[in-house]
Amino acid sequence: MKVLVVEDEKGLAESITDYMNKEGYICETAGTFREADERIYLYDYDCVIVDLTLPDGDGFQLIQTLKKLLATTGVIIISARNALEDKIRGLEIGSDDYLTKPFHLSELNARVKSLIRRRNFGGQTEIRYHEIRVLPASRKVYINDQLTVISRKEYDLLLYFLSNIDVVLTKVSIAEHLWGDNIDSADSLDMVYSHIKNLRRKLLEKGGSDYVRSVYGIGYKFGEP
Amino acid sequence: MKLLAKTNRIYLAFSLAIYLFAGLAFYQVVRILIYREVESRLRVERLDFEAYIRAHKSWSDSTYFIENKVDVVPVGHRPLLPETFIDTLIRNRYDDELMPFRQLTFYTTIQGVTNRVSIRKSLIQSYQLIEVITATMATCLGLLLLGTFWFQGKLSGRLWHPFYESLSRIKRFNLASATPLQLDKPEINEFRELNEVLRKMGDKMQQDYRSLKEFTENASHEIQTPLALINAKVEQLIQSEKLTESQGRWIEDIYQASRRMARLNQGLLLLAKIENHQFTENQTVDLTALLAEKLTDMDEVLLHKQITVQIPSRVPFEVQLPPSLADSLVMNLVNNAIKHNHAEGRVELASDGQSLWLGNTGNALVSNPERLFERFKKEGSSPDSVGLGLAIIREICDTYGLQVRYEEQKGWHRFCISRRLEAA
Repeated sequence: MKVLVVEDEKGLAESITDYMNKEGYICETAGTFREADERIYLYDYDCVIVDLTLPDGDGFQLIQTLKKLLATTGVIIISARNALEDKIRGLEIGSDDYLTKPFHLSELNARVKSLIRRRNFGGQTEIRYHEIRVLPASRKVYINDQLTVISRKEYDLLLYFLSNIDVVLTKVSIAEHLWGDNIDSADSLDMVYSHIKNLRRKLLEKGGSDYVRSVYGIGYKFGEP
Repeated sequence: MKLLAKTNRIYLAFSLAIYLFAGLAFYQVVRILIYREVESRLRVERLDFEAYIRAHKSWSDSTYFIENKVDVVPVGHRPLLPETFIDTLIRNRYDDELMPFRQLTFYTTIQGVTNRVSIRKSLIQSYQLIEVITATMATCLGLLLLGTFWFQGKLSGRLWHPFYESLSRIKRFNLASATPLQLDKPEINEFRELNEVLRKMGDKMQQDYRSLKEFTENASHEIQTPLALINAKVEQLIQSEKLTESQGRWIEDIYQASRRMARLNQGLLLLAKIENHQFTENQTVDLTALLAEKLTDMDEVLLHKQITVQIPSRVPFEVQLPPSLADSLVMNLVNNAIKHNHAEGRVELASDGQSLWLGNTGNALVSNPERLFERFKKEGSSPDSVGLGLAIIREICDTYGLQVRYEEQKGWHRFCISRRLEAA
């Protein structure tokens, strides 16, 4: 999987690249419009993450060029502009997702994964992690091949964890993933806790291992016990 | 009042006064001329009379058969008074009508006896003359008045046309649109200069508006990007296995602070955008339905805090709002009602079509209710709240012709939104 990150803020581009590399993607960066333009002409990418405001050009233009060259490339816009018009315009010219800065790397990662899944297999794929099997198309979860009924939020939570294996997810990022960023955080953090508790219980009931660990009180990690 | 109506009215009043004055003056002048003529003829007749007396030494009425022409009355020995002219009315012998006459009275001595002699001349023809002249004059002046009035109306209508044209274009001018203010170049210098000045002002305003808009966008970008960087680095940092418990807590604090700053920045930018009227496309929004929907969306939180929602009536409360702001308004109201509620509390939504209430149970207010809607006014010291929610609610209401009120009653806190009277 090849991902191109077009972002002029070096530190941020670096963080995204590190995160993506850990996930097993081949990740390249471009800090300027010119550089990005050159790269999309030379190489094919599965996914391009584009910042709209670049020092020497407009991200929208880049997306238009990209869509002309290779329409199957997935595009995720990351922008500080939170205007509805930008979001609509982005979707109109063929981008797949829009994240407003500041965002969580884990959220970006989950969106990239979901995007690539949709692109490559038309959604007809399953996610496997040891005894856990998730069918995203039908939103069904199997543990040790037993159908496990979990709530919608628990399903979203599980998928978020499975997209970020062995990564510490902050409570805030989980809350915002589940309810959007407009929810009042004091309540949502409690709710995150209760959802995680329920999910864990349901996984254990069907004979699954306990993969969720609390880390420093700041968040949770899903991975090998 | 319209400019043309006003000038026409003043013009009409002024010309009426002038014409009235001119008419009166003309009447007086004609009268004076006629009297002078009549009086000079009366004097000539006096001379004739005296010549007659000198020739005949006596006067007999029969000489003048016209009635009342000359009246000679002996008055005995009296000093001779100077001659006088007076107007008099004398009854006509045949049809018993009073006729106006001018009379010259003088005293003369006939055969040693002083006589008062009155010579009269009918004014009836002169009066008729004056009447005819006055009528003609009035007709002419009236026609002139109507004519000039009509002409004046047509002329000013044509002269002021460029002005009204510019006015209607300025009314249609939209600051937020990309099209500049387009005005004609009329022949009249003053209007051309006016249009020129207006065009320059319009361009300047548009430019200022654009740069203000760009500034808010850029400020947003400039602040959000470093915040995104902090977030990303913190997320990377917590992946490290070698953190101690207290380091974890410090990082948590940094993380929370950066999230708060991001929310604060977004809130302030939203306020700035509302103030700048950067949301333009108003739509009819039913706030009752939207609030009910938002409360349903939040059922999880409500369930978590064990808050029950009551919606006794769902009368639509329709307002004109840009959809994204309506959403913001509703979300802030709902968040507020949940945040300041206590466990097992209640939320009530009601509307009567003219106004809308969202009430919630909660602890008594500590701060001054008057200052509740001010920016950064926080009830309690919750670290998650940035204190902009109510300020955003008020700003949206103020900008879009709504009014928001807070009242507290028996442990209930109610926010009431109604249409502002002058906007209705």
